[in-house]
Amino acid sequence: MAEIELKNLSVEFGAFKAVDDVSLTVKDGEFVVYLGPSGCGKTTTLRCIAGLVKATSGDVLFDGRRVNELSPSERNIAMVFQFVSLYPHLTIRENIAFPLKARGTPRAEIARKLEWVTGVFKLGDELNRYPAALPPGARQKVALARAVIRNPAVLLLDEPLSAIDEQFREEMRWELGHLQRQLGVTTIYVTHDQREAMSLADRIVLMNNSRIVQVGDPDSIFLQPVDIFAGQFIGSPSMNLIDLVPVDGGLRLADSGVTLTAQRHSLPDWALKSRRKLKLGIRPLNVHLVEDETGAGSDIAVDDVFSVGRERFFTFRIGDTIHQGVDKRGKRAAGEGRVHFDPDGLLFFDAETGRRVVAEERP
Amino acid sequence: MVPRIDRAVMTRSKTSAIDHAGRWLLFGLLIVYTLYNLGPIFWLIISSLKSRMDLFAMPPKLIFTPDFSGYQSVFGVGAAAGTASAVGVFDSLVNSVIVSVTGTALAVFLGTLAGYVCSRFNFLGKGDFMFFVLSTRMLPPVAVLVFYHLMFARLGLADTRTGLILVAIFANVGLATWIMKGFFDGVPKEVEQIAIVNGYTRMYAFTKLVLPMVKGGIAATAGFCFIFAWNEFAFASILTTTQAKTLPVKISAASGATGIEWTQICAAGVVLIVPVLIFFYLIRKHLLMGMTFGVLGRR
Amino acid sequence: MTAAATTHETRQAELKKRSSGRLMIFGFLSPTLAILLFMVAYPFFSLVYYSFFNFSALRPEAGMKPIGFKNYAFLLSDPELWDRFVFTGKFVFLCVALQMLIGIFVGYQLQKNFRGRDLVFTLLMMPMMLSPVVVGFLWRYMFNSEWGVINFLVSSAGFPKIDWLGQTNAALWAAVIADTWMWTPFIILLATAAFRGIPETIYESAEVDGASAAYTFFRITLPMSAPVLFIALILRLIDSFKQYDLFFALTGGGPGSSTMTVSFAVAKTAFSYFYTGEASALAVILLLIIIGLSMILVRHLGKMGEKY
Repeated sequence: MAEIELKNLSVEFGAFKAVDDVSLTVKDGEFVVYLGPSGCGKTTTLRCIAGLVKATSGDVLFDGRRVNELSPSERNIAMVFQFVSLYPHLTIRENIAFPLKARGTPRAEIARKLEWVTGVFKLGDELNRYPAALPPGARQKVALARAVIRNPAVLLLDEPLSAIDEQFREEMRWELGHLQRQLGVTTIYVTHDQREAMSLADRIVLMNNSRIVQVGDPDSIFLQPVDIFAGQFIGSPSMNLIDLVPVDGGLRLADSGVTLTAQRHSLPDWALKSRRKLKLGIRPLNVHLVEDETGAGSDIAVDDVFSVGRERFFTFRIGDTIHQGVDKRGKRAAGEGRVHFDPDGLLFFDAETGRRVVAEERP
Repeated sequence: MVPRIDRAVMTRSKTSAIDHAGRWLLFGLLIVYTLYNLGPIFWLIISSLKSRMDLFAMPPKLIFTPDFSGYQSVFGVGAAAGTASAVGVFDSLVNSVIVSVTGTALAVFLGTLAGYVCSRFNFLGKGDFMFFVLSTRMLPPVAVLVFYHLMFARLGLADTRTGLILVAIFANVGLATWIMKGFFDGVPKEVEQIAIVNGYTRMYAFTKLVLPMVKGGIAATAGFCFIFAWNEFAFASILTTTQAKTLPVKISAASGATGIEWTQICAAGVVLIVPVLIFFYLIRKHLLMGMTFGVLGRR
Repeated sequence: MTAAATTHETRQAELKKRSSGRLMIFGFLSPTLAILLFMVAYPFFSLVYYSFFNFSALRPEAGMKPIGFKNYAFLLSDPELWDRFVFTGKFVFLCVALQMLIGIFVGYQLQKNFRGRDLVFTLLMMPMMLSPVVVGFLWRYMFNSEWGVINFLVSSAGFPKIDWLGQTNAALWAAVIADTWMWTPFIILLATAAFRGIPETIYESAEVDGASAAYTFFRITLPMSAPVLFIALILRLIDSFKQYDLFFALTGGGPGSSTMTVSFAVAKTAFSYFYTGEASALAVILLLIIIGLSMILVRHLGKMGEKY
């Protein structure tokens, strides 16, 4: 059983603040994914939970007990690293059994657990080989097996799939999710790949510039981003961002003749009256192709259309900026049709602070 | 079987008292070794500054009036200038510089070429060649000296710097080849492949692309070869008689009728170590890399 | 560019590469090979040749009398030679064991990063940078039983003074202490290099896996750096086996001939007594032992490298 709590955690390397005042509670058995661009502090946070990095200030608590001063081996954790860290001079069997042997586990118990874990990961044929003889994907599987064999209370994963082939990664991701639910082990997973995060996480912790930007389940992070960064980092293709200029009876898209009107786009009242500069965020999947301009479509023409599988990607231009949209595959050929913004998908951001605005606060 | 999940915090398996004692023991041992290591160096330096009387004082003196006669005779200046022994010692210092610098340069040059080929190509008898090259490093000098002694006399190389340079090349080229091979192994093969695909010759790729990438390695190799060439004694002591004597040989002869000239030996020792020390400090980073001989390079 | 042109050019390049490759192998290796053949192979076969003659370099006019295996027969039946080998063996064993032990220990401490590490490291390397003759004389000076600093320290500590260079056993230890002083830094250098070659994540992994410092050292650090440490062992084994300079300056082979190594005996036979034929035979024996020894060790090293 393990509940992890971070209280105002900060880590500094000299003048550089790698983690800045991070607080979070990870519930027992929860699968939490730290997501963010490289250098955002997510890996440092993880290493701090592992005890590999000391907190400059703030606390790490396991089940309410402060563990700041405990070494990694005194915390009942297991970790899988981004770059394969198998022991090259030991066989797969010796690698997997290493954490048990290091703690002096009786031989019979080692054999029993080894049997269980090799069954789970289907590693039976590889046991007597050396890591160098295995492809990267299989090596990471061994690293995972080595991590769970000891029944850790906390499983820490630092971009474990990033060095693996695309195809194998998909499979590993599925297995990992399955295994975590089966074991019920509290898991913290670090990645920069938003798709991994969306498919694995109970909760996502989005980080940027050493701070937590947003915490929430995948759906709420996707649908209700707190700011421009959150909106653009999650979702692929990335969210379109357009400057808005208030005009009579609507909001004009900057550098274009197109105006969003209250009536056609069901704009909220406050947005029309707002005195601050706003930006419009709209995800490509909320931008559709329509037959003609008499319907709900705007006056924006489509630039280019290309189809991938069942989806049709298209681009359109506002001012000098190229934006993207996605629609289901239809009959239409390139260069035809008009763009329609789905009213439900309109997100408004404060142009200065970058925060999302949902309703005008009273000044 | 799904295992039971344990508590989040493990009990401490070791008591911190033992841990603490162990750390102090390690520290103590390190201090003892450091004293053993640096003590004699300290003694060498202060003895090089002692007058004959202070040298044999019992208990040994730590505070005394420095006497520079040892250094004066090594450089042939001051009070010792013009005396027979001083002139000889200074000449031998010059010999040492010429022989070790030239020998090192040539050994590193040849070792770089051979190391490159051994790193990049597979050729018939490569393993044997590599072993043969290394084995030269393992030969006892005195064994080959029995014959060199005759061969050098016959070829007119006895008591010449040329002869000693030849020996310095032979004694170091094997080591240079091995260390350089390790450094070349660290340069990706794609460097040359891309150059060749773009129409450059392999020679161009080697001289203009690969060589600059192993500059540090060349420095490290040179450092090592220089240490050995600079300090070489066995060959020089047998193959020289008067003119070509190097400093290590000359100081071994500083035990004349008046007994061993300890001050002069210690001063020469200090003079001998200074260039090596400076060189070593400058190339220390590369030295550490080169010393794994590429054995760990695959990781 | 058409496909045909591409294949043509590739083939051209391939041909050029292959021929220039061969030229390069030949051009780059031949000078080294030439100098080594001239300086090693030629002397070696000449030594074998001379070893079958009764011959002195001092009196070449006396000529060379072929005597077959008599030099070898004489040497191998001479109990003194066996004494030399026994002494050399003791010396090698003590030196290598002490140097590896201390070197690995200190190297392990030095791989950690701390302030001034480079300077400490360079200072500790100093004994290795000294000329072996200087080392010999320096220790001879310090080992002097009357006014040497070591006996001063020994007697200050309340122990009786030791006649370091005047007694067989003490002289062996004196030589071991001096050689260990000089060459432990070499092991430190190689061990540090090997230890630092182990990626940090491996250690972090072991720490997370709950391995103690000692367990990590014996189960991870040592085996992973074994190939380099083994090279260090080979080099030290062979270097101490052929040690000559140190004995020349420190003990001069004495007292009596009790600290006479095989190398020293070759030098003495060849350059003091000028029994060139006999010295050649002894040199051949020494060479064969060293070549055999290094072949076994290098083969073992090769096997070590194959594993992973």
